[in-house]
Amino acid sequence: MAKVKKTDNSVMAVLADPPKLDPKETKEPINVLIVGVGGQGVIMVSKVLALICQNLGYEVKQSEVHGMAKRGGVVFSHVRFGSNVWSPTIPMGKADVLIALEWAEGLRWMSYLRPGTGIFIADTKRIVPPFACRSRILGADIGYSKDTPDDVREKVAEAFALDATEMATRAGNERAANTLLLGALSTTLTFPTEEWKKVIAQMVPPKTVDVNLAVFDQGQNWIDGSRKGEPVEGAAFVPLVQPELNSVRNTLEITAEWCKGCDICVKMCPERCLVLNKDQVAELAEPEKCTGCHICEWLCPDFAISLNPITQEAVA
Amino acid sequence: MNEQVALKKETQAENNKDFEIRDYLRLDLFPHFMCPGCGHGIALRALLWAIHEQGIDKDKLAIVSGIGCSGRVGTYIDANTFHTTHGRPLAFATGLKMARPDLHVIVITGDGDCLAIGGNHLIHAARRNLDITCLMLNNEIYGMTGGQVSPTTPHDRFTTTTPAGNMEPVFDASRLAEAAGAGFVGRELTIHLPRLRDLISEGLEYKGFSFIEVMSDCTEVNGRKNDLGSSPEMVLGQTRTMRPSEYDNNVVDHPFRPNSMDMGVFVRSDRPEYGESYRNMVDQLQGLTQKGQK
Repeated sequence: MAKVKKTDNSVMAVLADPPKLDPKETKEPINVLIVGVGGQGVIMVSKVLALICQNLGYEVKQSEVHGMAKRGGVVFSHVRFGSNVWSPTIPMGKADVLIALEWAEGLRWMSYLRPGTGIFIADTKRIVPPFACRSRILGADIGYSKDTPDDVREKVAEAFALDATEMATRAGNERAANTLLLGALSTTLTFPTEEWKKVIAQMVPPKTVDVNLAVFDQGQNWIDGSRKGEPVEGAAFVPLVQPELNSVRNTLEITAEWCKGCDICVKMCPERCLVLNKDQVAELAEPEKCTGCHICEWLCPDFAISLNPITQEAVA
Repeated sequence: MNEQVALKKETQAENNKDFEIRDYLRLDLFPHFMCPGCGHGIALRALLWAIHEQGIDKDKLAIVSGIGCSGRVGTYIDANTFHTTHGRPLAFATGLKMARPDLHVIVITGDGDCLAIGGNHLIHAARRNLDITCLMLNNEIYGMTGGQVSPTTPHDRFTTTTPAGNMEPVFDASRLAEAAGAGFVGRELTIHLPRLRDLISEGLEYKGFSFIEVMSDCTEVNGRKNDLGSSPEMVLGQTRTMRPSEYDNNVVDHPFRPNSMDMGVFVRSDRPEYGESYRNMVDQLQGLTQKGQK
């Protein structure tokens, strides 16, 4: 199959002859891996898919990890369906479709895609976990993936990165982003659209049926349009904005004669960069750790500490 | 109106940036006399910051303080300061404000100064609602005189005069001021310095008697005698032992604190300010006399 490369930021790669996955035609089960972050609706996506397969008379096995992932942790769900499914989990490199509701999660699970034919559909929504931002210094490096669709284009056969969350927000409900991705998923399978809509209407809260069905269409059109090379409505990938590394180096001016060694600044400093020296006077032991949060200055009862931000240029 | 408020907030934020505490201190008196870790220093910073935020001119600022550790706090402020007799700063301040309504009069007083010997002055100052800001630094003990029991010493606390634990019920100063008719009443901890600054700033802005209770620490006398820990432990423990309502949910009743203390602004009423009503009446009477003479 020829691979058509797009320069568009959000359509990463399109196969000239995109596969339509039909469980009737293959002996092996079709594998769909859905990944995301707790609270995004990963399980809902997999339940809809599993229910449709059940309704259409296939054997389905679904296996998921959630539980402790509640609101913010990793959630994934394996859905396998076909005439016969023996194992509930997808082996590495065997997933036909990878649906990622969060960008970094998508990148993390990419190795599960079937090389050459695997379809990667990702929401470019980024949920940066707290542990990716350990340093509190403004502009410090964060642990979140900085890969853009351009960077991972070579690794995938067919791939789409759409800002489903933004599109769903515009349609009226941010939480319908998962249904939008269901719409995207539906283009890779042979199931009738009516069946999808029936199950979605059954699964989502009654008040949100309309918006969910609307975004489902949007997702379908987005993928279909991209495959045909038409310009598609939708938000493109926004690169991660990282503030410039703080060029301000903080120095603490500590008036030793005023300090009474009460220890408040040492114990209250969130970065633990102050110590009491042998004269029981506070001292900035690790100036590079200081983020300039002012806590020591504010809570010093003796007015002995004042924070002086000095720019790097002034230092040099 | 909202635009005005927003503009004011903006100016205040702009003012906050160039706050340099040493501009407001009498540097030749430093280091100050207070014990290591005393919360009064933090309260003083909050007060000076609020003064800076309000853009009050130092020449138009009059600090009146009483006797005690809190009374000495006023000494370090580079403004017109007035160190008065025990318990009477509010009485002095009332006279000062009546004679010089152009001054911003701030009273710094302590729990013993304000509630015990000066309790009478407090309730009457609150009743009149004269435009004074009263900052009560509540460290729950007479610190300077050696740690005697004060009207706000919590139940079961050990002091020099209550060696077996305090058995008197305490005053809730904010409620007292509220009941006496103060127009603005608020309470805050010293550990929440920005919030304390905002509260004092609001109090300074308020036209009328504003009573602000600052929950301060006495580390050397109160803390040591009652084994409340080192200075940082006492500061950190404020949120727990003083139990503002937001921390109240999961805390079991603390033996030293019979009641949970809530923080924030309790009262902001639009009662008439005494000085203004007084001057109106003077104008009226003078007008009448002149009319009669004509």
